[in-house]
Amino acid sequence: MPLYKIKVNGVQRSIDAVADMPLLWALRDLMDLTGSKYGCGIGACGACTVLLDGAETQSCQITVGEIGHKSVTTIEGLSKDGSHPLQKAWVEQDVPQCGYCQTGQIMAAAALLKRKPHPTDADIDETFAHHICRCGTYQRIREAVKVAAGGSK
Amino acid sequence: MSNRNDISRRSMLKVMGGVGASLAIGIFPTISCAADPKKPGVVFEPSAFVKIDPDGLVTVTICRSDMGQGVRTSLAMLVAEELDVDWKKVRVIQADTSSKYGRQGTGGSSSITGMNHSMRQVGATARAMLVAAAAKQWSVDPASVKTESGNAIHPDTGKTLAYADLTAAAAAQPMPTTGILLKDPSQFKIVGKPTNRVDNLDVVTGKAVYGLDVKVPGMAYAVIARPPAFGAELNTMDDTAARKVPGVLDVQKFRNGVAVIASNTWAAISGRDALKLDWKPGPNVDVTSKSIREKLVATLIDHRPVSADAKVVEATYDFPFLAHATMEPMNAVADVKGDQCTLWAPTQVPNGAQGAAAGVLGVPPANVNVNVTLLGGGFGRRLQTDFIEEAVGLSKQTGKPIKLLWTREDDMQNDFYRPTSHHSFKAALDGSGNPTVWSHQALQASGNPGAQFRTNGLQYTIPDAQMRFGGAGVPVRTGPWRSVEHSLINVANECFVDELARAAGKDPFEFRKALIHDERLKTVLVLAAEKAGWGKPLPKGHARGIACFSGYGSHAAHVVELSVVNGEVKLHRVVAAVDCGLAINPKGVEAQIQGAITDGLSTALRAQITIDKGGVVQTSWTGFKWMTLDAMPVVEVHVVPSTGASGGMGETGYPSVPAAVANAIAAATGKKVRKFPIKISELA
Ligand code: FES
Ligand code: FES
Repeated sequence: MPLYKIKVNGVQRSIDAVADMPLLWALRDLMDLTGSKYGCGIGACGACTVLLDGAETQSCQITVGEIGHKSVTTIEGLSKDGSHPLQKAWVEQDVPQCGYCQTGQIMAAAALLKRKPHPTDADIDETFAHHICRCGTYQRIREAVKVAAGGSK
Repeated sequence: MSNRNDISRRSMLKVMGGVGASLAIGIFPTISCAADPKKPGVVFEPSAFVKIDPDGLVTVTICRSDMGQGVRTSLAMLVAEELDVDWKKVRVIQADTSSKYGRQGTGGSSSITGMNHSMRQVGATARAMLVAAAAKQWSVDPASVKTESGNAIHPDTGKTLAYADLTAAAAAQPMPTTGILLKDPSQFKIVGKPTNRVDNLDVVTGKAVYGLDVKVPGMAYAVIARPPAFGAELNTMDDTAARKVPGVLDVQKFRNGVAVIASNTWAAISGRDALKLDWKPGPNVDVTSKSIREKLVATLIDHRPVSADAKVVEATYDFPFLAHATMEPMNAVADVKGDQCTLWAPTQVPNGAQGAAAGVLGVPPANVNVNVTLLGGGFGRRLQTDFIEEAVGLSKQTGKPIKLLWTREDDMQNDFYRPTSHHSFKAALDGSGNPTVWSHQALQASGNPGAQFRTNGLQYTIPDAQMRFGGAGVPVRTGPWRSVEHSLINVANECFVDELARAAGKDPFEFRKALIHDERLKTVLVLAAEKAGWGKPLPKGHARGIACFSGYGSHAAHVVELSVVNGEVKLHRVVAAVDCGLAINPKGVEAQIQGAITDGLSTALRAQITIDKGGVVQTSWTGFKWMTLDAMPVVEVHVVPSTGASGGMGETGYPSVPAAVANAIAAATGKKVRKFPIKISELA
């Protein structure tokens, strides 16, 4: 199998994978970065969301062969210790229920805040329209995004 | 970030040691051995559920599965409360399947009702031993010793000893068997306070370990090609292409399908895609949702006759099958070595999993150790052990530790579905619009013929109320789903109550209020109505619906406000009022209610499982549509303050949501809802 060099969380990684392996499985199985979750594999749930050069990307929908020189940020790379404002807001607002979808939600929020440091409700709606939380933590997700953006509460 | 999380993180790191391959093993430390009172710095471990380290760290072991309901937090709060320790010093670990934890199973909203007393007892017993140890040291009467925030205090002399310094002496105390007093709720400092989940930091940093995140040395990855219809059988298989997929290690017939074993998940999935399989359709090829409904309707009998002068109201309601669709699909890691087996699994039933694995292997249950991971959702699906049996069978068959993944498609199409049902109602109203007769036939299509609805009865006083439960066997696997039969019976009841109110020309809130016999239910109904501004003018086109439900020791009522624009439902606001007795963790209760509202809205308006050609039509979230954030209304949760017995909260918040949606749609459109999920174009 070919060797791919991919920059993940600031570190250059070499992985032995077929070109069509989705980034999600490379992260989870080959790099032991299991914070990005599998929820559908077809781009329908957002559980696998990572940042690709800072932009929200479903890691199940991009293959290792397509990454090239772009740099990947996963939840493990958002901060060393959970100190990113979004992670702090998520803990404080007690967003997680089962928690399984939450790393994807946080990464989507990270991309949003990078684009729009003070998002409106409409911006938040747009960002999360493709993210499922089967437990239904939506009210707290919205609140946590606002808190992290320095907004309400 | 809270200090408590720092501590839980630190200790987690301590037990984890390395990363990567050792992660899964390290994260499930075995409980440290019993305290030895002769050594300095010993651990005080009065029971399998709690221990105090010489550095003051309190470890609570939880033997219930956390699938998002926060039981790891709420049960630990109960122990910490009675033990009188600083909540910041508490960490939580998960029990293994040792018999010392008793039989473990999580479902039916039973954790709080079933474990409340015993977890408090665990804390109070440990506290009594610490008090006795301090009293002995000070040569005072134990009754004169108080405790607070992890310290024993003798107010008369001003002496104080930290629990951390008492661990050895406490461990030497005899275990008290009687006279353990539990606190009066008025003294609670932890219980009843909004408390964040103990796992939050691990979740938001991606370090939380779910079943799918477990990795053990030498492990292979497996997926299974499954029959396309219930009862279909494999005819022929060509695995030539599959075996050529890089990373595929083996292809084996397994049970009624074909397993692909590979060195990573993607190879296993690609290998499965490359299989050429021919299936014999089997005996159920003609089964469809329509044929199942016809089968149910055929079992209807005549409702009892009602007197000629009464006003008769009749209605039917149909509910679809529903998938659990947990966010983390089914999976398990099994390592079978000889007659021993180790399992890592997101399961609601560790002992059930143990027994099921033992059954597959033909070994005693004691040979199977089950490590319960975090669960990426449960909702009743993880009461089943089918996926665990498969992982065990595959590990045995291949001689390797196996991580079995169910893809979303596998999960959606091979669930134990919430049964589909048909409901037929007939009621009579007297001259003043009061119901005198109520007849409800609830017919459920069940995978286990003979399974019948159970119910806690009608929550309204109607002189002559009858319910007949029946149904028909179908070749679709069915099982408990959030609120079990109440997700059908009570939703139907609450829709029909509204139709009665309308027929009587009465306000549906007032109509209910006059007939409800449980005072607590009446209180939440009134509270929900009040908070929602029931009866107050609404913007043009908006309408409200109300419904309520008692069950699992708790009570809930919902008011939904929506409008129907161009054939589409727009949700504006949902107000919930609940009474669950003493809310151990109000934040957890609120989360459960918010979640139940999302379930209720999703299943009222979007989600369903349909059957065609004997199999499930939907394959993923694209067909089984769930609410997303952008479509959510404003949600308000009001919890009735109470010190009464704590009820369950996982299920109670569901049934009145879809009913309130249906009632609001009926109010908005003037049409009758007959079928879920509700499509405006289908309303009559
Ligand atoms: S797993 Fe990638 S979008 Fe669902
Ligand atoms: S917290 Fe469970 S799926 Fe979002």
